Amino acid sequence: MSKPAHAPASAPHARVEHPLVEIRGVEKIYPGGAKVAAVRGVDLVVRRGEFTALAGPSGSGKSTLLNLIGTLDRPTKGEIVYDGRAVAHLDADVLADFRLGALGFVFQAYNLIPVLTAVENVEYPLVLRGVGHEERRASALEALKHVGLETMAHRRPDLLSGGQQQRVAVARAIVHRPALVLADEPTANLDSKTGAALLDLMEQLNQEHGVTFLFSSHDPAVLARARRVVHLLDGTLHGEEVRAR
Amino acid sequence: MLMLAWRNVWRNRRRSLINVAAMGFGLAAIMFGQSMMRSLQYQLIEKATGSFTGHVRIQRRDIDEPKFPDKFMTNPEPAAKLLENDPRILVWGRRIQLTGLVSAPKMSLGALICAVEPDKERLLTNMSTYIKEGVYLDGKTKGVVMGRKIANRLDVRLGEKVVLMAQAADGSMGAEVFRVVGIHETGSESFDGQMVWIPLSAMQELLGRPGQVNQLAAKLKDIDQAAAVAADLDAKLGPGDVGALSWRSIDKEIIGIQAFQDGLLTIVLGVVFAIVALGILNTQLMSLFERVREFGVLMAIGARPRWIVRLLVVESALLGSVGTAFGLALGTALIGHFGRYGLRLPVGEAFKYFLPFPSVIFLRPSWSMHSFACATVFVVTLLATLPPALRAGRLKPAEALRHV
Repeated sequence: MSKPAHAPASAPHARVEHPLVEIRGVEKIYPGGAKVAAVRGVDLVVRRGEFTALAGPSGSGKSTLLNLIGTLDRPTKGEIVYDGRAVAHLDADVLADFRLGALGFVFQAYNLIPVLTAVENVEYPLVLRGVGHEERRASALEALKHVGLETMAHRRPDLLSGGQQQRVAVARAIVHRPALVLADEPTANLDSKTGAALLDLMEQLNQEHGVTFLFSSHDPAVLARARRVVHLLDGTLHGEEVRAR
Repeated sequence: MLMLAWRNVWRNRRRSLINVAAMGFGLAAIMFGQSMMRSLQYQLIEKATGSFTGHVRIQRRDIDEPKFPDKFMTNPEPAAKLLENDPRILVWGRRIQLTGLVSAPKMSLGALICAVEPDKERLLTNMSTYIKEGVYLDGKTKGVVMGRKIANRLDVRLGEKVVLMAQAADGSMGAEVFRVVGIHETGSESFDGQMVWIPLSAMQELLGRPGQVNQLAAKLKDIDQAAAVAADLDAKLGPGDVGALSWRSIDKEIIGIQAFQDGLLTIVLGVVFAIVALGILNTQLMSLFERVREFGVLMAIGARPRWIVRLLVVESALLGSVGTAFGLALGTALIGHFGRYGLRLPVGEAFKYFLPFPSVIFLRPSWSMHSFACATVFVVTLLATLPPALRAGRLKPAEALRHV
């Protein structure tokens, strides 16, 4: 398979490199009557090319940590550094631009825009980047081809199965060649077979095109696919496993 | 963004259609109201100035009530020369207007006697068009034209004689016999029940005021120039005892009616605009709450907060454009229909008491006002969307994504 248009230009295929993300002493406390510390004193490093899972039961802080890493939320304390750049406390516009350039997201509930077709959903990050119509359409179709949905390009989400929608979401997450794709429980709404197929796809993108994945799950079958598993419990790191492949 | 916004507008088709209908019917109602008021006012002005007042008048400044100039201009010729030389004036005429007594064999009645130059008056006003029996004044015979109602009250018919009496220059009562040559029916109580018309020369003779008049009335090529022409003439007349007035300074009650109607229209417009604004605000708030998670997704994939605000504003602009276009089409159709077939208004009967006024008015568009209404509906739509749009722009991505 040739290098796809959506693959990170300089990604070393399936080769773990220097730190992409460094999380230093991150804490997230939700305000309110009883303050809840969802994440406490987490230190974590994610390197380029990793295929890493955040594991832990519900309420362990997986989603919160992913949101913090994805700059969708701000830590109460600590710092998140991308390629040497601290991003946690940047202005909302700067953060939006940062996400647009560096990150891709896959959500548990797919979260496609219902009024757009599959290809339009996939090309939307490129619309936001101001890429011309022809170029972005070509990139979006290429991304859909990589998730095996080129024939469904002009269907709206309500005409796609859950698995197909999640593959469209993956295509949307990689179309702009992000350094890191964050996936929050990506298989939780899928049956085991469809979930396994999605993981195959993610793994393929990681192995063949060097896309770095950080995903959360509490499903042992999903976690078994990760090469590195970081365990969280009550908002703190509770060890990690690295598996050789 | 435009494509996404357009599809979002029609995401909830029924709700958007209800909004478009609310905007459209509201705007059409506004346009209809504007057109009705303006057409009514146009008719009122046309009938008032065209029946007697004229567009511009020159008369004495020291008159209490400009509508009834009871003081004479001893030398009207310099003023007449000004009118004659002004290219903006279509026609002008000398007049004497005063109250007097009309006596018939069986009865005498008070009347408003209008002495005019018949040849000029035919062009200056439309009174000659209301003659139902006999003919209009010709200036040669010592004839009188009077309204049907005063003729009936006096029990005089065409060809019969009446005596007109008025106070002469020396304080005595001047009296003269006139033959009824024409009877007019304007439908107005004031005109048909009180007015009699005689030639100017006969009146000057009756009053012992040769060459004197108490007003010079002019009809302009363009009524909208009345104020400017009156001001110019007034300046040229200087600070003497004679001045120029536009119809606005004479028929003040019409200006009052106009101001009242405009005020009423403004209140109605305000109510309609408020309804449109609340409808849009409600729609956009509902749309916001339904799509919080979606905004979170857009923010996650890199949309700036102001991009989200812009998306909602563009959606509103599209909805506003469709609603405005629908309202404009509906309003134009309504005005066109009533412009062709006319609209019977009870208020026309009320105006008839004071001056000849048609019971049916034919609507005409007032594009400057309609453009303002369209622009306002559109702007109100945009303004109403700002609170929810700004709120959407302040959403935090993680919280928005958690929204159920």
